[in-house]
Amino acid sequence: MGKKGDILALLFVIAVAILAVIVAILFLSKQPMLTLHYFFLGPLKNTYYIGNMLNLMSGLILGALGFSIAMQSGSFNLGGEGQIYAGAFIATVTSLYLGKLGFLALLLGALFSGGVAAFSGLLKLKWKTNELITTFLISYALVLIVNYLVGGPFLDPETNLIATRKIAPQWRLLRILEPSNLNIGLLYALIITLLVHLYLNKTRGGYELRMVGLNPKFARYGGIRVERYLLWPMFLSGALHGLAGGIAVYGTYWATVKEFSIGMGWNALAVALIAHFRPWAIVPAALFFAYLEAGSRNAMLHSDVTFEIISIVQAVIFFLITSSLLQRERRRE
Amino acid sequence: MVRMPLLASAVTIMTPLLLAATGGLFTELSGMLNIALEGMMLLGAFAAIIFAHYSGSLLLGVLLALLATLLLAAILGFATLYLKGNLFITGLATNLLASGLTIILSYRMFGNKGVVVFRDLRDLPILFGHHIFVYLSWLLLLVAYFVLYHTPYGIRLRSLALNAEVLSSLGYRPRRYRMVAFLISGFYCALAGATLSLSLGAFVPNMTSGKGWIALVVIFLGQKRPLGLLIAAFIFGLADAFSNYAQGAFAIPAEFILALPYIFTLLVMIGQSAYSEYKKRLK
Repeated sequence: MGKKGDILALLFVIAVAILAVIVAILFLSKQPMLTLHYFFLGPLKNTYYIGNMLNLMSGLILGALGFSIAMQSGSFNLGGEGQIYAGAFIATVTSLYLGKLGFLALLLGALFSGGVAAFSGLLKLKWKTNELITTFLISYALVLIVNYLVGGPFLDPETNLIATRKIAPQWRLLRILEPSNLNIGLLYALIITLLVHLYLNKTRGGYELRMVGLNPKFARYGGIRVERYLLWPMFLSGALHGLAGGIAVYGTYWATVKEFSIGMGWNALAVALIAHFRPWAIVPAALFFAYLEAGSRNAMLHSDVTFEIISIVQAVIFFLITSSLLQRERRRE
Repeated sequence: MVRMPLLASAVTIMTPLLLAATGGLFTELSGMLNIALEGMMLLGAFAAIIFAHYSGSLLLGVLLALLATLLLAAILGFATLYLKGNLFITGLATNLLASGLTIILSYRMFGNKGVVVFRDLRDLPILFGHHIFVYLSWLLLLVAYFVLYHTPYGIRLRSLALNAEVLSSLGYRPRRYRMVAFLISGFYCALAGATLSLSLGAFVPNMTSGKGWIALVVIFLGQKRPLGLLIAAFIFGLADAFSNYAQGAFAIPAEFILALPYIFTLLVMIGQSAYSEYKKRLK
């Protein structure tokens, strides 16, 4: 099997995922044809829906880049959920207190989440603690702690939502397709995609990072300081997740709403798996997933199925996609 | 809520943990870290109470929950062992599927995504102050001990974690042994879930809330031995009963209590890896 075989296998997984959604809707909905219509055509109905769908891409791209950069270095970062949510929260509340320096807040959010992920890298470096599990567990705890902070000490008493206060208007990202939510954040995400691509493929650091990911022993033998690439890619990975959350706040929500980003990390992970951790492939994969996500939101809004129907797509992809990955690795050996 | 003495309440709380941990012991001893305990338990909880509600029989509810969870375990085992997926990603798929599916179905059946209370259910049979699952979990731990240490299947399964190649060179198929281990873990998790929902008489979305993860810690803390599991599960039961009490007494935010299983699991993971590194360096 060559590249062609890979793409065929990928198309097969996607087809099975879509088929599973169709079957689920036929089973669950009392008006299945209408629900299918809203699911598959709703996101493309007019510029408002298209803009909102495209807007979902920003977070998916950044999160998927984050997962991929860790993966390319041989580390698993499964803490996307918590890193996105906590990054968004830190970016929001620091912005509220920084006044004129509010633009720094996005960076602080990214730094915080980067630090959280790097902590898992440090544990792996020091004691070989499995980073797959530590990132996941820390993330779950973070979500709950941020939930408490948003609903407690940082609650905005003036809204009916469980949310923090809104960031100042001058920090909000420019909207580019009113009245939809689409904003300049998507452009930032695309620029960062290009930067990550250049870093991984055109710089010495990126080359070393990938070498460590492919074969740490060989990389060490070749004089690469492997320890550095247990920490640095994890930091970048967490920071990109944090930025995904921050941009969602700065571009779309303007505040941290309780659990607003739940599911974004898993969807970004699915995007990264579909793109096989290649930055340029992440963009179309994110578009595909944004379409499905917009579709399931639409179907919930206008018909009788709930948003969680997208978890069926996630499950099918997660069940099937690493099987083809593993086969690829065996070929390499 | 009726205030039970701490000890009695610990015995009740430890029951689903002990069941899930016993199931997880089979996969763990075969050399697989099974994070899907959480999802399988959740599906078991949902299926048990739904089927009990529609059939009017607790026993039928439990039996059908076993069937549903075994199906999920079979999917997990098939994707992991036969399609050779990454165990953590397929386990994640299992958890996400269980979480999503139970919400989707509960929305379809009852029109809401929140707590569903079933008032028509009969209470679980009580014996000496505890419901029947408490005794069942002890009995099934004994059965697990017997299977793991005194049957050919158990002995070969345990040898898998040490060296799978030796077993296959002797003509046994490791994959089959692991598949059965997945199914057994599904069986125990179904009962663990049923304990949760049937003793409460309600289904709460994501009601397992980290218990599958705690079950993994129970396995590690219990040194992967049946008696160790019993002790570790009891300690967790006691800690949980105490934190329930503390939450009321000191007004600790509920979110922090909910975060405890994850933080605890994390600390145990870190401690365990630090300890084994330390031992390695001594050698």
